[in-house]
Amino acid sequence: MTPPSWLGQGWLAPHYLGWLLQGAAMTAALALCVCLSATVLGVLLTAAQDSKQRWLQWPARLFCSLHRNTPLLVQVLLWYFGVGGLLPDQAMQWLNSPHQLPLPLGLNLSWPSFEWLAAWIALSWYSACFISGELAAGLRTVGSGQRLAGRALGMSEWQIFRFIVLPQALRHIRQPLLGQYTAIIKNTSLTMAIGVAELSYTSRQVESETLLAFQAFAVATLLYLLLVIATQLAGSRRSAEEPGR
Amino acid sequence: MMLSLLHDNLDYLLWGNLTRGQPGGLLLTLGISLAAGVLATLGGLVGGIALCMGGPRLCRVLNTLVQILRAIPVLMLIFWCYFLLPILFGIDIPGVLTVIAALAVINAAYLSQSVKAGIDAIGDGQWRAAQALGMTRWQALRYIILPPALRAMLPSFVNQWITLLKDSSLAYVVGVAEFTFVATQINNREQVYPLQIFGLLAIGYLLLCSTLEWLGRRAGRMPA
Repeated sequence: MTPPSWLGQGWLAPHYLGWLLQGAAMTAALALCVCLSATVLGVLLTAAQDSKQRWLQWPARLFCSLHRNTPLLVQVLLWYFGVGGLLPDQAMQWLNSPHQLPLPLGLNLSWPSFEWLAAWIALSWYSACFISGELAAGLRTVGSGQRLAGRALGMSEWQIFRFIVLPQALRHIRQPLLGQYTAIIKNTSLTMAIGVAELSYTSRQVESETLLAFQAFAVATLLYLLLVIATQLAGSRRSAEEPGR
Repeated sequence: MMLSLLHDNLDYLLWGNLTRGQPGGLLLTLGISLAAGVLATLGGLVGGIALCMGGPRLCRVLNTLVQILRAIPVLMLIFWCYFLLPILFGIDIPGVLTVIAALAVINAAYLSQSVKAGIDAIGDGQWRAAQALGMTRWQALRYIILPPALRAMLPSFVNQWITLLKDSSLAYVVGVAEFTFVATQINNREQVYPLQIFGLLAIGYLLLCSTLEWLGRRAGRMPA
């Protein structure tokens, strides 16, 4: 079957599909790493904002509002060009040359490129601020009466958090958190601006090489849809398994 | 050094080649955001009201559309508009317009859900009271439901406008000479002060977004 003429000449050759799949794998890998680090960082930020120490509270709040009120693209560029420029030449040379960490079973873990590292850090910091906002909202849903009741029962602060606040908060947080994780998948697309070879980057590459704009972007869009839907399905499956719901 | 850098480039950073009829920089960012913001708000209102008042079939179509738009990156939508709108219409469309179209569509999709949620949040009793007074569904929407619903929606509208303003930086990727693009141009030319240039860029956006946030909070506190 030949495509209509306005689509350009022919469909994508298989090896271009291979490029796009590799891009999708890169997107998934980067998003997974960011989800993990941003969640940890988000918990820390929430704890700092929640603490009674002012010297912890204010820096955390400032950090969040700085990151939430500037575009992610600018933060990515700032990390890549700005912080990259601050590093000594030797460090940049080391970062830009390949390194391998040998793992058991004959596997090799190669050290990521500087673009990848800058993208990972920028995305993690940015996403952590949004995640901490969701976490804080989740914690607020548990009324203070319950904390007082816990104290009246002789529970420690940690026990109150672990057995009373956290189980209830988690239930409220799950959906918003899932939303943040899909946002992370989508946001990895911005890292193409500094040359991370993820899905948007490869779709642009395929487009400029084949001039088949429609085909290249359609496949990339489908792959993004698949990634996002898979994340949402995994999340909702988990919450269905949750006992006591 | 920082001062001379500022002195040499500030005009270009703020309004591009405006004197030669090519607005750019901060001015173009504001223009893109304003145009896309107005379109997205109108689109979101129409979409949200359609989701509440429309028949089941219309709702299904709209919901699917919104779900798809929410699941793809803004950048992808910008690519679609940038490369395919000209092919589809067979005419040359300036990059700025394609970016405005992409930002308007995706933010309208998000806003339509806020509008729907805002209308749903007004209790059923109000609809029935309006009906009891002999109002039609549309009259009830216009005079009873929308006024309080819109007030309740204001915070999510402001959040979406801030997101839109930040996302306008993505126009950089298709070479539209807005704030971020102009800053990277200056960075490529100067080569020496990347941290200062991108720091300044971040501060510019920070001021804009914080102002919008502050205005939103003030408007939210105003008496009806």
